Amino acid sequence: MTVQAAGARRPGLTWPFLRLRVAGYAFFLPFFVVFLVTVVAPLAYAIYLSFFQDRLIGGTVFAGLANYTRAIGDALFGAGLLRVALFLVVQVPIMLLLALGCALAIDSGRLRWPAMFRITIFMPYAVPAVVAALMWGYMYGDQFGLAGQIGDALGVALPDLLSRSWMMSSIGNMVTWEYVGYNMIILYAALRAIPEELYEAAEIDGAGAIRTAWSIKLPALRPALLVATIFSIIGSFQLFNEPNIVQKLAPAVITTSYTPNMYAYNLAFNGQQINYSAAVAVVLGLVTVVVAYAVQLITARREKTL
Amino acid sequence: MTAVAEASPAVDAHRSRSARRRRGKSPTLTVIMLVMFAYAVLPLFWLLANASKSGADLFSTFGLWFGGDFHLFANIGDTLSYQNGIFLRWFGNTVLYSVVGAGGAALLATIGGYALAKYDFPGRKALFAMVLGGISIPGTALAVPTYLLFSRIGIVDTPWAVLIPALCSPFGLYLMRVYAADAVPDSILESARIDGAGEFRIFRTIALRLLAPGFVTVLLFSLVATWNNYFLPLIVLNTPDWFPLTVGLNQWNAQANSGTSGAGDATYQLILTGSLLSIVPLIVAFLVLQRFWQSGLATGSVKQ
Amino acid sequence: MRSFVRTAGVAAALSVALAACGGGSGGSGGASAPAAAPSKSAAVQDALSKPAELTFWSWVTGIEKTVARFQAKYPNIKINLVNAGQSADQYTKLQTAIKAGSGAPDVAQIEYFALPQFALSKQVVNLADYGAGALKDKFAASAWAQVAVNGGVYGIPQDTGPMAMFYRKDIFDKLKIEPPKTWAEFVEAAKKIKADNPDNFITTIDPGDAGGVDSMIWQAGGTPFKTSGESSVSVTLGSDPGVKQWVSTWNTLLGEKLVDPQPGWTDDWWKGMGSGKYATWLTGAWAPNGIVNSIPKTKGKWAVAPMPQFDAAKPMNAENGGSSVAVIPQSKNIPAAVAFAEWLNSDPEAVKSLNTEAGLFPATKVLLDDPAFRDAPLEFFGGQKINQVLGDASTAVRPGWQYLPFQVYANSIFKDTVGQAIDGGGDLAAALKSWQDRITAFGTEQGFTVSGG
Repeated sequence: MTVQAAGARRPGLTWPFLRLRVAGYAFFLPFFVVFLVTVVAPLAYAIYLSFFQDRLIGGTVFAGLANYTRAIGDALFGAGLLRVALFLVVQVPIMLLLALGCALAIDSGRLRWPAMFRITIFMPYAVPAVVAALMWGYMYGDQFGLAGQIGDALGVALPDLLSRSWMMSSIGNMVTWEYVGYNMIILYAALRAIPEELYEAAEIDGAGAIRTAWSIKLPALRPALLVATIFSIIGSFQLFNEPNIVQKLAPAVITTSYTPNMYAYNLAFNGQQINYSAAVAVVLGLVTVVVAYAVQLITARREKTL
Repeated sequence: MTAVAEASPAVDAHRSRSARRRRGKSPTLTVIMLVMFAYAVLPLFWLLANASKSGADLFSTFGLWFGGDFHLFANIGDTLSYQNGIFLRWFGNTVLYSVVGAGGAALLATIGGYALAKYDFPGRKALFAMVLGGISIPGTALAVPTYLLFSRIGIVDTPWAVLIPALCSPFGLYLMRVYAADAVPDSILESARIDGAGEFRIFRTIALRLLAPGFVTVLLFSLVATWNNYFLPLIVLNTPDWFPLTVGLNQWNAQANSGTSGAGDATYQLILTGSLLSIVPLIVAFLVLQRFWQSGLATGSVKQ
Repeated sequence: MRSFVRTAGVAAALSVALAACGGGSGGSGGASAPAAAPSKSAAVQDALSKPAELTFWSWVTGIEKTVARFQAKYPNIKINLVNAGQSADQYTKLQTAIKAGSGAPDVAQIEYFALPQFALSKQVVNLADYGAGALKDKFAASAWAQVAVNGGVYGIPQDTGPMAMFYRKDIFDKLKIEPPKTWAEFVEAAKKIKADNPDNFITTIDPGDAGGVDSMIWQAGGTPFKTSGESSVSVTLGSDPGVKQWVSTWNTLLGEKLVDPQPGWTDDWWKGMGSGKYATWLTGAWAPNGIVNSIPKTKGKWAVAPMPQFDAAKPMNAENGGSSVAVIPQSKNIPAAVAFAEWLNSDPEAVKSLNTEAGLFPATKVLLDDPAFRDAPLEFFGGQKINQVLGDASTAVRPGWQYLPFQVYANSIFKDTVGQAIDGGGDLAAALKSWQDRITAFGTEQGFTVSGG
């Protein structure tokens, strides 16, 4: 962000300069108040809660860091983290590659009906996760669901998509379906921002479509890809809606600690362990921030060395 | 978060894409994209086909095609009249939450993003980093603290409990900060200041107009987020009269999935039809708003 | 079996007579309930004539009709009926609202398995203090036993779910199998069904439904959960004889793939129930509504029989599901709330409405013993008088079962442990042991003294 505010050029506590500061704060204030109320206050309260222990017998006692040491050694929490990390490593690249392919294809000018493709591929993003999970859940059914019916029609036994070995892929498919269009739009917007002169130069050089894509479009897309990646990382760590709805169809596969977020939820809501749940949430948030930041650092460093 | 300006929908609307328009169409590419098209549309088609079936056909006919009788309109009638027409009430609630919430969120994000991009005030970077960090905290885990806080200020089980959180869009702020950096040239601000215009007037008369395409984009994304919001309303609302569609449909689903107490109504048909009805307005909004952000996103002269 | 049914019938008739004699004596409340303070009972009597506004949380479909009858009779009292979610969803909201100190209803539906948890943490009013003990004789013993917990009366029974075997008569007739009277016969029948068509099963077992397994253990004579005093519990999922009996039968059924580990209430499950893939459904007496509403095309194919027994000489039954109606201490008008809860579940007009308009299986003797209820032939069930079977099932419920004061959590982690063995194959005894371990760990953390075995 290389934006220079007008006032920054001549530091000093003169009124015109102060006036800009005041205006800046004033403009930022409404958003910040809402942010404080809806994010910071609950978060601060959660952190506060995480230092206590509330028991059915014996009431609330100060617990210090006990909830945190427990969270760090908690095998269920660890397994959930590992599961979403695996999900992240597999699903996010697939989804982003698909989104990239679609964005490049729509932007290429070589596709028929590009507007139609853009809107239909984006459409699933408009479907509530609740409805999406409901639809895919019905379709995955191996007996009377779509998978089962297609299997019967072809005379083969398709694998049970809701079984232990397929569940992660099935959830991955649901998430990909929902968000591939969204990411495509972000990348597409970035492609649209590439100055025309670059294309003209490439054309004069006699570069083909693929070379243009490789040497002009991809470098220009890097920042957008980084943003999409960061948001996908955050989304993966917070995976909740899809497994939580599908669990009705496969209760034994999707355990109460299937993802860290589900674990925190079940602790708080079924187990009334609000305090421990808050600690798990805080640790999860920290892990997410660290991973997202690390990805950003690695990308930034690579960019510098290039 | 440096050098991400290109990621924004901030796009210059004056460039021509003549170079690309001249290339021929590729059938191979079109066929490959048709596969993606089928992937995106198939579940929606399944929903349409099954929402058009009678209850008896639902459990006995092929999933990816229509049943014997076309029951869609009868099902819509049933859905709209079930439980004294509560579906329409939910629909109205969702519209209220989305329009007010997303409109407010887009406005706050626009003003805030503009402030971050165009004014240099101490703590600016720290505040921005804090907002981005806020996105990383799982909302589900904050649900209980949020509930307890809202309860303390007495807004649990009122529309405010859904509306206030909907006003906060860190992603929108991020987007608008990036967008404002490009879309509002410093030189215009400088000359307005030299002319003696106040900061608020500059924002209202000059900046807001330049930020309009970005505003619409943020509005669209916030609209989707609010329309599809499920978890928070589920926690903070008890009275079905205030439910949005997502929570209401899930309640019907829970009802269909449990009979341990009371008469389990056969509501599968209503859930499918309700789901279909709930996504139609958003898709329509996309198609309508598409024209707006097309002008914001893409170059005006290119009608591919 | 015949003779058992007759005996049960006689017993029921006897208890009616006793109830009639004992009517009006009052104060015969829960186990060790202290005599109700007369002023509080009087306040409940008066409450119905004074203006009041009450919020009532219930997720029972059709209960609005019963509430409307109350409104017609007592126009002074306004009832705001709210469906705040099903079961655990509602409990979450209720507990959070109670914790927050505002937003809780005056009256709430609470299932029997969750009631001890609310009772222990004083999140529901001890109705014995308000004279509810006097209602004891109006209710089936099995229903009353489930609200008379921790030495008080914490809810008014609303409906019950005595277990029975709902079976596809057409399938049993076709294969010339008698409906099994014992679990041994059940296993044999399962083998025949499987031999006829390997895709079919005698029944399903839901890997996520702790309540179903709790009930079957109860029916097998087990009492694996016990509470003594306020803070000590015992969990004996490893050593309880009833648990062992259930394990041996179901290890066989699951091991030989004679039952389908299919989650209940799903699309796939209903389709299987409709198509004849599943031949029986072992469940609570509330089931007929679901069958009639969800798979109407199977009309005339279903029949009801008592649960298979481990020891036919000593028949035992259990409850599955069912709810009570409790009063929340935050209520600003507890007497009115108590009066409403009592009317709703014990007034003859109300209980009839709950049965016919809300589809609940009754908890009250006035209905269970009513010939018009008992002897009504149901067309959907081929004219069978199913309420006779179900009413007798209610009488046969084995007393002495207890739930943990944190059963909601214990049930929620059932699928993480026992559900794994049900779904993935594996020894049920080992799985129950791991359930026991997680329950013990949780209980200890919550400050209970947990003894096990």
